[in-house]
Amino acid sequence: MEENSNIWTEKYRPKKFEEVVGQEDIIKKVINLTKSLNIPHMLFAGPAGTGKSTLALIVVKELYGIHWKENYLELNASDERGIDIVRQKVKDFARTKPLGNTPFKVIFLDEADALTREAQQALRRTMENFTSTCRFILSCNYSSKILDPIQSRCVVFRFKMLEKKDIEKRIKIIAERENLQIDPKTIEALYEDSEGDCRRVINLLQAAASISPTISEELINTLISAAKPGDIKIVLEYALSGDFLKAKEKLLEVMLKESVAGTDIIKSIQKEIWNLQIDNELKVKLTEKTGEIEFRMVEGSDEFIQLQALLASFVMAGRGM
Amino acid sequence: MTNKQLPLIEKYRVKRLEDIKGQDLAIQDIKTFFKAFPRKKALILNGPAGTGKTSVTIALAKELNLELFELNASDLRNRAKLEEILKPATLQSSLFNKGKIILMDEADGITASDRGGLPELIAVIEKTHFPIIITANDIWQQKFSLLRQKCQLVNLKELKDSTILEILKSVLQKENKTIKLETIQTIAKKSRGDVRSALNDLEAALSVGEDEFISELYEREKEESIFNLLKVVFQAPTDKKIIDIYNSTEMQIDEIMLWVEENIPKEYSGKALYKAFESLSKADVFKGRIYRQQYWRFLVYQNFLLSAGISSATKLKSNKFTQYLRPSRILKIWMSNQKNAKKKSIIEKYSQQTHMSKKKAQKYNFFLPLILNNTNIQKQLDIDEKEQEYIQEKAGAIIVSAGLNRFREN
Repeated sequence: MEENSNIWTEKYRPKKFEEVVGQEDIIKKVINLTKSLNIPHMLFAGPAGTGKSTLALIVVKELYGIHWKENYLELNASDERGIDIVRQKVKDFARTKPLGNTPFKVIFLDEADALTREAQQALRRTMENFTSTCRFILSCNYSSKILDPIQSRCVVFRFKMLEKKDIEKRIKIIAERENLQIDPKTIEALYEDSEGDCRRVINLLQAAASISPTISEELINTLISAAKPGDIKIVLEYALSGDFLKAKEKLLEVMLKESVAGTDIIKSIQKEIWNLQIDNELKVKLTEKTGEIEFRMVEGSDEFIQLQALLASFVMAGRGM
Repeated sequence: MTNKQLPLIEKYRVKRLEDIKGQDLAIQDIKTFFKAFPRKKALILNGPAGTGKTSVTIALAKELNLELFELNASDLRNRAKLEEILKPATLQSSLFNKGKIILMDEADGITASDRGGLPELIAVIEKTHFPIIITANDIWQQKFSLLRQKCQLVNLKELKDSTILEILKSVLQKENKTIKLETIQTIAKKSRGDVRSALNDLEAALSVGEDEFISELYEREKEESIFNLLKVVFQAPTDKKIIDIYNSTEMQIDEIMLWVEENIPKEYSGKALYKAFESLSKADVFKGRIYRQQYWRFLVYQNFLLSAGISSATKLKSNKFTQYLRPSRILKIWMSNQKNAKKKSIIEKYSQQTHMSKKKAQKYNFFLPLILNNTNIQKQLDIDEKEQEYIQEKAGAIIVSAGLNRFREN
């Protein structure tokens, strides 16, 4: 199905090792492991959109050929509620024998860093119990969030952020196949926005192409700025003017209307602070406070309470305190 | 107006002194006052709401065949007004040459805006030819000290639950209605000795249906108790009692937290607002730790920050009446979730075919309507008609609001 998908992130997802851009060292090692038909558990760590899922998919396609779907289970730690469900799915999947020559099946556990410590402990046992029939490929953004005992059971691959030339290559392939007009300056703009995330670039490109096959720099920049939760500035300005209630109301509206997560809101706030018309010393203080609040959120506190506490700091800052 | 339409509380107001329940001692004293009149010219009936002060007076007037001249809180009672109305009444005989009782109802209501009202009342008492009855909820306030010296004082106590229950039963009987004993017991208990509120509640129970009434009563009580809690936390001085304030309530601490969150901005501003939110934020951090680590001792810190922490945000306590708001956030989130149901189902379908979690797919919220506004993709994702409408509408809105039309080629 994906082979002829109309969604570009799938349509242009590399199908073979040699199509992958960047990550050359990793590719070489993984090719060798795959050839031996006996891969170890693997941990793919690295930023979003750098090829972790893509590489996992290529590995299973190489291993199983046309039977890859029967021998491959993709789980998403942030969507599966609780380790119990993960364990159940793993059990059900591992119970049957693999089809073909390869003596094991592959489970890809995406966003493994979303699992709690307890869930990871449980996962460790599961990995051991099913080693004879299953290999795990885990992916995560930060390997530090994965327990040591799990890391020690895996071969760890660290994915780098994609470079400009890698992304450029991908854009050009797509532009050619989709008959898009795109100039180097526009490619530059796409890359600047991407933070090395290829998925983001491709989605942005497809969104732009839905408007016009001529992808101008202006079109890309218009899309980028429209996609930002722009109302954050208004939220902060209300708070600085001392109107806490209006700021809070607007914040809730932004979060609910576009279902923006608190962690994304706080990212925008952090970026917006330097553009505010306040004393530099206050900017430093507010940024530090923002960091503290983000920490509390990441630790698992209520996003909305934490953001309100942050807004209260902006109210103070508005009074020069 | 026929009797049927009268509220129960008027319909069954006692007509005779002997029908008044639970105030035998007080009635004794009142009778003595009248026998001795004019040794003391005025009588204060002091007691909580709904204990029968007004009823006693009305019944008494009837029994002694006296005309009743009444001034209550709804009348303006400043000096000029009292002089104009009350004075003549206390000096002249009544129309049919009957004797009369002057009733100064709800004296607590004589406020600062009734300029000179109290001194004028005292002057009137000194000259009156007729007995004056003054009713009050709290006659021991400073402003009444002179008045107290001029009057005989009779206290009316709160009625016992059992007395109220008896009254409710007799009213039900006269109304020819039945209601669960449990319900009237609840009403009696809840009235805390106030017949008026008990009868009003009975009336409400009869009209809305008792089950509904009871659950509403429960809501009202809960609200009352959280209002009182919030008032203490926000306005009382920070002392040791505050730390334990949440122990005395049956309300869930999570729910209290929402109430506190909603109402901090109603009570505090500036630095106090900041400090209060800082405490709330840290209380919330401990709450998260309790959930994750199941280490319940953290509850101590959570509750401390939520009580003493909030309370100590300012030393300048206000004493104003605050109309606390019920937490609105959860409702708003729920409503928005209802609205976003289509968006959710679309994201689910999209994420399934793109090797992404729903959470990650959400990040492309903005671009998705543009990308998915394509028949082939919609077919591929199995998008239904309603979802398709949603996508089209969303994409259109994005194109307009971002001004993307100018990039389109004709």
